[in-house]
Amino acid sequence: MTPGRLAAAAVVLVAAVLLPQVAGPFWMGLVTQMIVFGLLALSVDLLLGHAGLFSICHGSFFAVAAYTTAILQVRHAVPTALAAPAGLVAGTLLGLVFGLAVRTRGVYFILITIAFGYVVWGMAHRWSSFTGGDNGVTNVPFPAVGGLRITSDTEYYYLALVVAGLVALGYRRLIRSPFGLALRGIKGSESRMRTLGYDSNRHLYAAFVLSAALASLAGVLYVYANRFVNPVAASFPVSVEAALMAIVGGTGTIVGPFIGSAIILGLRNWVSSFFELYAAVMGGVFIVAVLWVPEGLVGLAARLRGRAPHA
Amino acid sequence: MTTSAILQAINGTSLAALLFLVASGFTVTFGLMRVVNMAYGAYYLLGGYVGLSIVQATGSFALGIVGGGVAIVILGYVVDRFLIRYTGENHLAQVLLTVGIAFVIGDVALKIWGGDSLKVPVPVALRGAMELPGGLVYPTYRFVMIVFSLAVAGTLWLLYTRTQIGAVVRAGVDDREQVSATGINVDRLFVVVSALASFLVGMAGVVGGAFLTLYPGAEWEILIVALVVVIVGGLGSLGGAMVGALVVGWLDAYGRWLLPEFSYFVLFGPMAVLLLFRPRGIAGKEA
Repeated sequence: MTPGRLAAAAVVLVAAVLLPQVAGPFWMGLVTQMIVFGLLALSVDLLLGHAGLFSICHGSFFAVAAYTTAILQVRHAVPTALAAPAGLVAGTLLGLVFGLAVRTRGVYFILITIAFGYVVWGMAHRWSSFTGGDNGVTNVPFPAVGGLRITSDTEYYYLALVVAGLVALGYRRLIRSPFGLALRGIKGSESRMRTLGYDSNRHLYAAFVLSAALASLAGVLYVYANRFVNPVAASFPVSVEAALMAIVGGTGTIVGPFIGSAIILGLRNWVSSFFELYAAVMGGVFIVAVLWVPEGLVGLAARLRGRAPHA
Repeated sequence: MTTSAILQAINGTSLAALLFLVASGFTVTFGLMRVVNMAYGAYYLLGGYVGLSIVQATGSFALGIVGGGVAIVILGYVVDRFLIRYTGENHLAQVLLTVGIAFVIGDVALKIWGGDSLKVPVPVALRGAMELPGGLVYPTYRFVMIVFSLAVAGTLWLLYTRTQIGAVVRAGVDDREQVSATGINVDRLFVVVSALASFLVGMAGVVGGAFLTLYPGAEWEILIVALVVVIVGGLGSLGGAMVGALVVGWLDAYGRWLLPEFSYFVLFGPMAVLLLFRPRGIAGKEA
């Protein structure tokens, strides 16, 4: 890190820690959502920005993790120390299955993941005896591990912040590892990587499963933040908006997906307070992002400063 | 039990008939222009709503079908010409862009036509039920719809296999550059094919709106099922779309009947397995 970036990171960190001093509970709830969806967008971006695969089923891992945790915690009174890891495992296991989609590329990969995503949404929606149908699972308590328990939205915000920070550090190591570089190589030219002896399908499968695990982590954080989960979490708009967040912020970076998440959620919150057609405005954001800012805000900033973005 | 099974087969066929109308346009435009247009579901819904308003205003169902189709032809042209063309062949950009367009259309339609389920009124002559051989009673409208879709499918098939424009389209699906090199105006061909596809999907909205009803969210449901049709059949193949529509229609009908809670699984599970072993669908070729 350059001294400039280090200073910027320090300023952001201090601001994040001090934020609850100035913002009320509503704003803290919103910022927590931004962090949670930023993690989801980051998971999508591991495939999109680093491996060149566009997945539209990450809402599935997110939702399966959220449902698993919620059902265990609410209906079976399983403590957080078991329910949260169980959610993580369930979402990751689903990733092992859906990961088979890496046998395909391009538009086929996109369409298959859309269809996969709908299977999960359909189960959440129709299998009401188990998932609670459209009402979902409600009354999820704040997490508590042993004697430590979260008692307010502000405390939960700090928890989400710490998790996001740890994930960012781990993610940074991952994308700079030989594995991460191999993924970038595959994105750049798959045939070249194959010629060099890399098994691209295996690399992409591993990336897919890791990405599903990260989406599951976001799902567990989501369900404790929201206190309920319903089929919307598994729906197509959630999956595709996660990709949009990564793109708006800037793919292939770590801060990009979080910036994108903050912009999209902030914009929705703001627009919906005074304009009825806010879904149309969100649609407009998709159009503008694709046609005019395909490299995202991080990429745009880098271009304005006259150099290429790097992770 | 047998009676129900047969009724479900007819139900599946009538859904297949509708799906074919939506999926045929999607698959041929993909085959020819390499465009993934996720707004097709929204086209379907909007076409249905426009048709509904026309039927309510004029009392003519036929006029509603034509009007719904024409409205989408115009919209589709504007979207193709001013938005999609700037994405080149980047499928990721096309998907995001057209999803955005679908959000806009869906939200505006919600504002105009409201959030309730609306049903396009069926002409009096087609209301009620008819008796089929063997003593089965079935809604007349859905039966007529199957016949109508078969006629459309037959016409498309003749157009595709027996006419010069069909030959050019088939050649374009196989190798666009080569067709362009022989002096055929590919851009004009795109506009014509895209207009036909838009007309079909707009018309499908009116036809489908008379038995599935129109409501916010219907655009995604129909799109996803149509996507499965296209994937199963093989992207770019008209014949594949016919086979795919039947497979999906029946799977959906029997799935809803036998395993209501897992009907999505019945629909998408076999598709996922098929794709893993035959990623380009039943009739798909190497891209």
